[in-house]
Amino acid sequence: MANLKVDVSDLNKSFGDNHVLKGIDFKVANNEVVVLIGPSGSGKSTLLRCLNRLEAPTSGEVSIDGRDISNIKTNIDQARENIGMVFQHFNLFNNLTVGQNIELAPVELGKLSKEDAAAQAKKLLATVGLEDKYDAKPQSLSGGQKQRVAIARALAMNPDIMLFDEPTSALDPEMVGDVLEVMKKLAKEGMTMVVVTHEMGFAKEMADRVVFMADGVVVEEGKPEDVFDHPQNERTKAFLDKVINV
Amino acid sequence: MKIRLKLFFALFFASLGLFAWQAPTVHAETTYTIGTDVTFPPFVYANSNNKYVGIDMELIRSIAKEEGFKVDIKPLGFNAAVQSLSSGQIDGVIAGMTITDERKQTLDFSTPYYESGIVMAVAPSSKITSLKGLKGKTVAVKTGTQGAAYANSIKDKYGFKVVTFDDSDNVYNDVKTGNSAACFDDSAVLNYGVKTGLGLKVVTKPADVGQYGFAVKKGQNQKLLKMFNAGLAKLKKNGKYDQIIKKYTGKTATSKTTKSNSEDRTFLGLLRQNQKAILNGILETLKLTIVSIICATIFGILVGLLGVLPNKFARGASTTIIYIFRGLPLLVLALFIYNGIPSLTGTKIPAFVAGIITLTLNEGAYTAAFVKGGIDAVDSGQMEAARSLGLPFGKAMRKVILPQGIKIMVPSFINQFIITLKDTSILSIIGILELTQTGKIIIARNLEGFKVWAIIAVIYLLIITLLTLLSKWVERRIND
Repeated sequence: MANLKVDVSDLNKSFGDNHVLKGIDFKVANNEVVVLIGPSGSGKSTLLRCLNRLEAPTSGEVSIDGRDISNIKTNIDQARENIGMVFQHFNLFNNLTVGQNIELAPVELGKLSKEDAAAQAKKLLATVGLEDKYDAKPQSLSGGQKQRVAIARALAMNPDIMLFDEPTSALDPEMVGDVLEVMKKLAKEGMTMVVVTHEMGFAKEMADRVVFMADGVVVEEGKPEDVFDHPQNERTKAFLDKVINV
Repeated sequence: MKIRLKLFFALFFASLGLFAWQAPTVHAETTYTIGTDVTFPPFVYANSNNKYVGIDMELIRSIAKEEGFKVDIKPLGFNAAVQSLSSGQIDGVIAGMTITDERKQTLDFSTPYYESGIVMAVAPSSKITSLKGLKGKTVAVKTGTQGAAYANSIKDKYGFKVVTFDDSDNVYNDVKTGNSAACFDDSAVLNYGVKTGLGLKVVTKPADVGQYGFAVKKGQNQKLLKMFNAGLAKLKKNGKYDQIIKKYTGKTATSKTTKSNSEDRTFLGLLRQNQKAILNGILETLKLTIVSIICATIFGILVGLLGVLPNKFARGASTTIIYIFRGLPLLVLALFIYNGIPSLTGTKIPAFVAGIITLTLNEGAYTAAFVKGGIDAVDSGQMEAARSLGLPFGKAMRKVILPQGIKIMVPSFINQFIITLKDTSILSIIGILELTQTGKIIIARNLEGFKVWAIIAVIYLLIITLLTLLSKWVERRIND
């Protein structure tokens, strides 16, 4: 399986007495778009955060590009350079302008000169449709704009996998489309993506595979049309009934 | 940021240099540091030029001249002087100190240079004429003096309570205001006071007669002690001793104080007379404030940062440091560092340095607490986002978290600077001649408590106003 991007085996994660992930096996191939769905508290976000060790696994193995993320000896900073992450609450650096947000990591980590980073930032802003916001402060942006800047910031490190943690959950409904548009563009360009979302439309349209999680285990997975139209598991059916027939 | 950091360290080392510059310099003649009282006329007091004069001062200076050594007089207050002597911070004490067996256990005394007894003084209107009249009343004495020991030895017999003060003028004032019915002090002192318009009357004969001696720490500075004895013998022989005693206890002594009573006692007059002393006090206060603000800020930031590191031991160390130095009263800390540590290790710590260390530890602990709090107040998502991009902890801290945390901390910093300025006044306890100690000394001489403290208070407010304006200006610069 040389083209495996993500290889998680028997992953367990507990917060104190709370056993959140219970022996997860999870694989993502190169260029694959995987959407994680499931009720809140099912462990989707925790799984995602274990992929770049924002949460340290309690046990089990996580490897990205063949690099063992769960090993404490792995240089996690270096590994994270190739793993972009987008958060529910954007987490733009409030002390910096939009441009500086995007340039910070490439410049500080010696990937690009200041000039090249600025040029790249402008280009990335153009791809997310915000070329005029280069000098703006994050505080002056709408939620949708912030999230698109956050995506541009993650892309600035030129990652080969992108993790999205409920990227549209904190947005006003009219902003959701813009962000999804950017994500679709990324997917079409062949970016490997793991997306935790409640946007079933996006999942149906863009996912190569949908993974349904509940209570810390993977309950069901498959092509979107199979999972959405012919769910095998009762829990999947119950969940889909709730979210789709609102 | 890097340039600012460098500037910070440059200032830090410059301030260290200031200590070094203050450190003792080598003289051809040995200089001895002699502790004395703030006010104990006619033995020790500051004249209207704020120069220390009196029997003790003239004796020690004349003896030094005879024997060829130099003295550095430190008006620490009686109690602090004796403590500093036994901790080895100073070389000798001359402060109208009675030679007692108890004191002999820790000190070595010179041959006696004066004889005096304890008398009781009351307010002019008081009807008390003997010790019997004190039943149920309160009596004022000065900490650590023979008068205090005498009062405590007879208080049960005569049924009175004892209150103690650190300065003589507070003792006398307490009797004048009627809070205390009487005070006990050496006869020479009270007689001199009565003669010079103290406003009290002496009603008993000298009791518990004792002899005054110059003291060094037991077993130390024996050479100094020998020189004092030799010098005293010479002065007695050549008539200089009698001359000095006469000058301060003879009839001519009163003429001096008539002059001092005719001093201009308006606010402006007081300011003008004490201009130099007050200015020096302000300078010392500013020096203490600035150096300790710099040191405390650096110390506080370091300890605060230690408290947010992803390491249990670092965080524990930070919490412990904050707990200890925020928990200790500043006064206790100052005395511990200045008197406590030297009596254990035997090495002197100059008062200024001890003061800076005290303030650095105490104010630094408060600074560390709000530095930690300021960083914790930055949304945790900021750190996660920075780390997820591959930025190491230190870089994420410097580039993303600290700039936001500092904004949160700025008001606390300004507040802490002002508190530091005010807290320098506590260092008067270890004899640093800053603004508060200057005030004490001026009052000890002219007893103008209300006016002098009002002047000192206004000066503090003025400096604080300037400091606040400066801080606000800096705050605006940071926020822009």
